[in-house]
Amino acid sequence: MRGGRAASLVLLLLLAACSKEKRVLDADQPVTDPVGAQDPRTRQFQDNAYQVAQGGRYFAWYGCSNCHGNGAQEPLDLGDGRWRHGSTPDRVYAAIAGHGALGARILPEQRWQLAAYVEQLPTLDTAYRRRQDTDQVGEAQAGNWSGPIR
Amino acid sequence: MVRPDPMKWRVLLPAFAVTSCSGAQTPLDPVGDQASQLFSLLTLMLWVCGIAYALVLAFLGWTLWRARHVLERDPPEVAPEDRRLNHGLRIWAGLVAVGLIILAGGSYVVDWALSRAEREAALEVRVTGHQWWWRIEYRDPATHQWIETANELHLPQGRTALVLLGSADVIHSFWVPNVAGKMDMVPGRINQVALTPRRLGWFRGQCAEFCGSQHAHMAFDVYVDSPAQFAAWLTAQRQPATAATDPVLARGAQVVTQGPCAACHRLRGTPATGRAGPDITHLASRHALAAGTLPLTRGAIQGWIAQPKALKPGTMMPAIPLSAADADAVSRYLVTLK
Repeated sequence: MRGGRAASLVLLLLLAACSKEKRVLDADQPVTDPVGAQDPRTRQFQDNAYQVAQGGRYFAWYGCSNCHGNGAQEPLDLGDGRWRHGSTPDRVYAAIAGHGALGARILPEQRWQLAAYVEQLPTLDTAYRRRQDTDQVGEAQAGNWSGPIR
Repeated sequence: MVRPDPMKWRVLLPAFAVTSCSGAQTPLDPVGDQASQLFSLLTLMLWVCGIAYALVLAFLGWTLWRARHVLERDPPEVAPEDRRLNHGLRIWAGLVAVGLIILAGGSYVVDWALSRAEREAALEVRVTGHQWWWRIEYRDPATHQWIETANELHLPQGRTALVLLGSADVIHSFWVPNVAGKMDMVPGRINQVALTPRRLGWFRGQCAEFCGSQHAHMAFDVYVDSPAQFAAWLTAQRQPATAATDPVLARGAQVVTQGPCAACHRLRGTPATGRAGPDITHLASRHALAAGTLPLTRGAIQGWIAQPKALKPGTMMPAIPLSAADADAVSRYLVTLK
């Protein structure tokens, strides 16, 4: 009986872990800007590994790492946990959207994903972040594409 | 249990054999030197293996006949020094060795011819696999600059193009069955394959290594042009994007080159400089949209921009929210980009 209970506990844990990777491949749904610091959608982006990883992909694609990359100096360093424009999700979102012409080009869903990615950077191991950069070395960085992975 | 109707198979099997012998995506109708060489190797292999198979079956039949008709009547005495048997086995081993030598020799000759073609290439093309599209770049013979396009390969008839194959993310595989054999595109490596097409026409290329959810929608068109047509096509691809000529097109151009499209797509000669997605400077010169997913029409373009994931679930292209007037202007502008 105890074994059965332990097994179902493990099963439940596994199921919980599945939702962390959950992604929707269906048609895109309209996404709007956050409403205040307590917007309940924040957790859907922050707690989902796929959404955070998409944020990391756009971070490279839009050339964010040109200024905010691994090893950037204060005040551009996003890994030090200090937020010049405010640390709540809606403030981070607004700061991304406030990047002039580039910020205006980024779609709301991508801003949500970028905000989720940026907000977990202070807790991310530097080695892990370097590994992410290595994975994306074949992707474009804004107007630059340096060729396939060599 | 439902037994399959045997008659149905008798009809279907030859149909399968016939459909795969011609068409725009089959190695059994070679139009390139490399595909012809591989096809002759396949023919040689079928002959050698077919003869060996027929011989094995013939010997098996003979032993069965002998067991029933000769040995039952007249059981043999045990004779370890059976000279005829030893002689026959030696001849058989010799035949097997000859067959293997023919196969190895044929394989060596074809391999040698394939690598010789790579050294004689007159045109350099770089193809990079992305999830799930092809970045295609031509080395300009005059300036040695790369001219970028996507999802459509043009080749001059009778000339050898050397295609350098790389990947930006996962393993893909480049395969134009009518022209040449397949070659993997491996992250961290540059592979190469030579293509020498001999027949004018349209052929289809396809990713041949599972690369994610939209692997099946990672195809490209291959056009074999006459050398003059090819030169004209390459000259046109070198040009910057066509300028908008009326107010609707101008509005479309403004949305495309300054709106969200420009974050990932490049239109040479405009402020749109993104490189993450395909270069769309000459989008309307191509015949398909989204790596062979849709025909290139104005309706397909507009639908694709409005809801790409409904057409190609999992694609990296996001839905772009546009007003009806802007969506119309954008699609009208994009089809002018010849």
